[in-house]
Amino acid sequence: MPYPEQLKELIKVVESTRAERVARKKKNEEVPFLSLDARTDRLKYHPDFKDEGRHELSIGPSKGYKIAHEMAEVLEAHSRVNPADVDLSKTDYETDVLILGGGGAGTSAAILAAEQGCKVIIATKLRHGDANTMMAEGGIQAATKGHKDSPYFHYLDIMGGGHFNNVPELAETLANNAPGAIKWLESQGCNFSKYPDGTMKTIHGGGTSRKRMHYAADITGAEIMRTIRDEARNHSDDIQVLEFSPAVELILNEKGECAGAVLYNMETEEYITVKAKSIIMATGGSGRLHIQGFMTTNHYGATADGIVMAYRAGVKICFLHTVQYHPTGIVFPEQAEGILITEKFRGSGANLVNIEGQQFVNEREPRDVEAASIIKECIEDGKGIPTPTGKVGIWLDSPMIEDLAGPGTVEREFPGKFILYKRFGIDISKEPMLIYPTLHYQNGGLEFKNTGHTSLPGLFVAGEVGGGIHGENRLMGNSLLDIIVYGRIAGKSAADFANENVNGSKLSLEHVVKYNEEADKAGIAKDKVAPMLLPNYTDARTREKQLTSHYVGNMR
Amino acid sequence: MKISYYPGCTLKTKAKNLESSALACLDALGVEYEELPRWNCCGAVYSLSDDDLIHLIAPVRDLIRVQEQGFDTVLTLCSMCYNTLARANELMKNDEVKRGTINDFMDEEPDYKGEIKVVHFLDFIRDEIGWDKLKANVKNPLNGMKLAPYYGCTLLRPGDVSIDKSNSPVVFEECMEALGAEIVKFPKAIECCGSYQVLGNPEAALKVSNDIITEATAFGAEAMALTCPLCDYNLGHRQEEMLKKYEGTKALPMFYFTQLMAVALGVDPENYNLDLNQAVSQEFLKGKNLLEKVST
Amino acid sequence: MTEVKAVEIKAKLIPIYIMGKKYEVPETLTIMKAIEYAGYQYIRGCGCRGGVCGACSTVYRKPGSYKIMSGLACQTVVEPEMYLTQIPFYPAIRSTYTFEKLTGKPEEVFDLYHELFRCVACNACSKVCPMDVEVMDYIAALKRGDIKAAAEISFDCIQCGLCASRCMGELPQYHIAQLARRINGRYLTPQAEHLKTMVANIEAGRYQESLTGLKVMDINMLKETYTAREMEPATGGEDWIPKENIGL
Ligand SMILES: Cc1cc2nc3c(=O)[nH]c(=O)nc-3n(C[C@H](O)[C@H](O)[C@H](O)COP(=O)(O)OP(=O)(O)OC[C@H]3O[C@@H](n4cnc5c(N)ncnc54)[C@H](O)[C@@H]3O)c2cc1C
Ligand code: FES
Repeated sequence: MPYPEQLKELIKVVESTRAERVARKKKNEEVPFLSLDARTDRLKYHPDFKDEGRHELSIGPSKGYKIAHEMAEVLEAHSRVNPADVDLSKTDYETDVLILGGGGAGTSAAILAAEQGCKVIIATKLRHGDANTMMAEGGIQAATKGHKDSPYFHYLDIMGGGHFNNVPELAETLANNAPGAIKWLESQGCNFSKYPDGTMKTIHGGGTSRKRMHYAADITGAEIMRTIRDEARNHSDDIQVLEFSPAVELILNEKGECAGAVLYNMETEEYITVKAKSIIMATGGSGRLHIQGFMTTNHYGATADGIVMAYRAGVKICFLHTVQYHPTGIVFPEQAEGILITEKFRGSGANLVNIEGQQFVNEREPRDVEAASIIKECIEDGKGIPTPTGKVGIWLDSPMIEDLAGPGTVEREFPGKFILYKRFGIDISKEPMLIYPTLHYQNGGLEFKNTGHTSLPGLFVAGEVGGGIHGENRLMGNSLLDIIVYGRIAGKSAADFANENVNGSKLSLEHVVKYNEEADKAGIAKDKVAPMLLPNYTDARTREKQLTSHYVGNMR
Repeated sequence: MKISYYPGCTLKTKAKNLESSALACLDALGVEYEELPRWNCCGAVYSLSDDDLIHLIAPVRDLIRVQEQGFDTVLTLCSMCYNTLARANELMKNDEVKRGTINDFMDEEPDYKGEIKVVHFLDFIRDEIGWDKLKANVKNPLNGMKLAPYYGCTLLRPGDVSIDKSNSPVVFEECMEALGAEIVKFPKAIECCGSYQVLGNPEAALKVSNDIITEATAFGAEAMALTCPLCDYNLGHRQEEMLKKYEGTKALPMFYFTQLMAVALGVDPENYNLDLNQAVSQEFLKGKNLLEKVST
Repeated sequence: MTEVKAVEIKAKLIPIYIMGKKYEVPETLTIMKAIEYAGYQYIRGCGCRGGVCGACSTVYRKPGSYKIMSGLACQTVVEPEMYLTQIPFYPAIRSTYTFEKLTGKPEEVFDLYHELFRCVACNACSKVCPMDVEVMDYIAALKRGDIKAAAEISFDCIQCGLCASRCMGELPQYHIAQLARRINGRYLTPQAEHLKTMVANIEAGRYQESLTGLKVMDINMLKETYTAREMEPATGGEDWIPKENIGL
């Protein structure tokens, strides 16, 4: 729905200060960046720092680690399926490499593993490509312009963004392999936005010292995802995709190696087993856990399943004490709530503006600082804009981009968002957008090495499910990068493992039995089960009337 | 003057030499043109079935695009496209019932009543430029070239879209004459080249084409001028097969008439894709010293 | 676990017909949220919930019109009396090919998808496209070998498959467009020179020393280096060069 009258009035305030803000932007007179100390101070407003939002894990390899309730709950929960009921004497599928998750990390891993001569199965929750990767808009970082940038600066930015707590080797590998990842994508036929001579267009993102954000209009992730998915489909002899079949447990063998997984066919409600020589965990993030009740940008299947399964199998977790809130999610209109407004809007010059029409923060601070600043401006300083649905937001002044880069720029550079708003009767080349931070990215995850290996032999990790690369806060554009860099690395490592390793023969779910016992001992209620698989948005009144329905977790 | 022009698909791929030469001639003659910004295939052949209106959707849509573009006339280069567009146009002009059905079906487009005039390059030059002006622009006359213009069918039939008298046309000959060529008239100049029979019955098509070529040669032609990519395929690209199969057939150089016009108007040969013609044709022009003259 | 919250009924309830069956839903919801409100839990037909994955294509009609309307369930707001169904899947055949071996010639597309030429320009595809892609125009462009134009026109395609469901020529348009875009990205657009150079430089070890320097650096020193790093100005052009060339 279009902006109602009261908001239209408030937009006039934004308009009244726009000319002056554009002039400052042109002269490069920015609100100064916060010092490292001031950042720390500002971060007190970040949801991660609310202590009542977290609790200590009572079981598992990272027992004692304090993380968000919602995440802790799925980690401590019981298994969905009773291990004793699963017949492991014969498996339904057998393959060299089994990949859990058909997003960007899983798909690039599959292509690499197939190139090494392996037979690959991708088991994924929804359709191949229904994933956070598909949703990424803004861009992918890489230091590709040698006259001003290099992996040195990229590394510095990654570390600074992550509060210098990142695992250095993971960050180094990311920066060093970044240009190669872009080159691979280009050679797969990805349509990056380019100048006529083939030079890639690059812009800034939050926390970048050099313009190194490559993009494909405002659907960078979709362009990458659909391109590599198409390539995977060209290898259909070697890469088999099982859709609507999420994994619910890992299977180990007598050598204690990871040797397969139990999948759940959500359509026929059967549990099926896959035996494999190596397994890649690429199940992505966890926005649909709605940590602290926040709205999320994530796809429907982002429910932390991979972390749950691997944690039960003994893999430690790290950096899950921080969660990334994207500074700019839509708060109005309601229908689009939670949907991400890419950082590229700010990179292209749009200011964040309060109810008085004033810019209050530099738009290129790292995400956590930016989000904390918006929350502070609204909650502490009371300068947010009240929405008709009882929420509060901040203006993102997109029409500035037209003043800076010429009329028509917004529609050309942001076709996706332009159409989205047009459907609601809002022209974002003329009217600003109302935004508020939204749950966006799982900064942490499973511990892994820069070769993709985990502490569990035979299990490899790639993508958002892993932790450490980005420390406590990921910069925009480093995640699309991470899934390609580490997707390829994991694909190669898992293939090598499969090619070298003699598969154990005795499959077991003993670790799940033990974990259930631990959960029992810790007094975790039996009806708490995980992986969650899907959120449930059925109205409570409807659920009350489903008198004969039996729910296991969220699933009927 | 400025005119809208419809290229047709084949001219963007296999018959680039027809498009590039025609556009070069328009430049040389000072005619401004603007390609339709949105267009689709004309349908390639006019459907003869009486109630097969769906195949009229494509050409009618193209005519609506011309209107959208703000022109009242559209120029075509390929004789097949000409025929399909012109006939669809006639139907929209004259058949009220079918017009209604088609307009109803395309309810996302404005109604169309046949207001656009469809012209072919040949009648366009005749009516809008005139032979005299054409002659005056010739810098490199095709003197001494014994040339057989070949119409094929779709420029002349059916009568209501013919660009000239169906059975005794002169427009093509007059045009080539204005460029300085020595005209060889031959009866089969208005007969069919075999057309799409090449797909279903290639042998029969080859025979028909061979008859055309041998007759033109017998009448003294040393080269042939064409207006249509399909004719070029049947008569030109299949010549090797003819030479193998039929004793006595001689290779006959083939050109799009626009290429010859471009030569005569003194356009740099770079601009009309002679490389897409058969080797014999390229050799022929060289032999006539027509290419050197241009470049000097 | 996700809290199951009752949706506050502050918005007016309106009737919609989900696969012909009437439900009363709040008028502010998207079709997707309305279907969930009505009591369904999605397994198919829902992916990104953000308008880019193409899982939730929906067709509907409204009273008093013969028109088939279309939209994405996750993006389209419900309207009174709308009569809808989602089409979570529609079969379409994709041709496999060896991407490396292509060169960018139109004939390669023709060979993989002969059915291109079955298009009669009826435009049902463009009319149903929830992303407003001019599907018929990119098919027309491909028929005349203009792969670049097809890539550009089809850029916003989310491969939901509605075009294929409506096509009387039985084309799998979105697969053909995917092929066109890949050919365009690789074979018809110049490849980036700076990228080649950078990859070669990294392989030659040009940055390894400076990078290792950072990796082993004491944290306070690292913080200082970070704070002191020179920032490329937001409004500078492509040719901006930093003052110092450490790390380059
Ligand atoms: C709206 C949005 C915008 C973003 N923008 C950017 C950006 O501009 N730049 C950037 O760098 N990053 C961006 N990101 C982050 C980035 O897109 C993701 O972090 C990254 O794509 C994750 O890739 P992945 O392959 O690890 O996970 P995903 O792409 O999410 O893939 C995981 C897959 O695993 C499946 N799965 C889940 N559970 C299971 C299970 N139990 N069994 C089997 N399969 C399962 C999922 O359904 C999914 O298909 C954005 C993210 C979002 C949500
Ligand atoms: S759910 Fe992805 S487009 Fe609607």
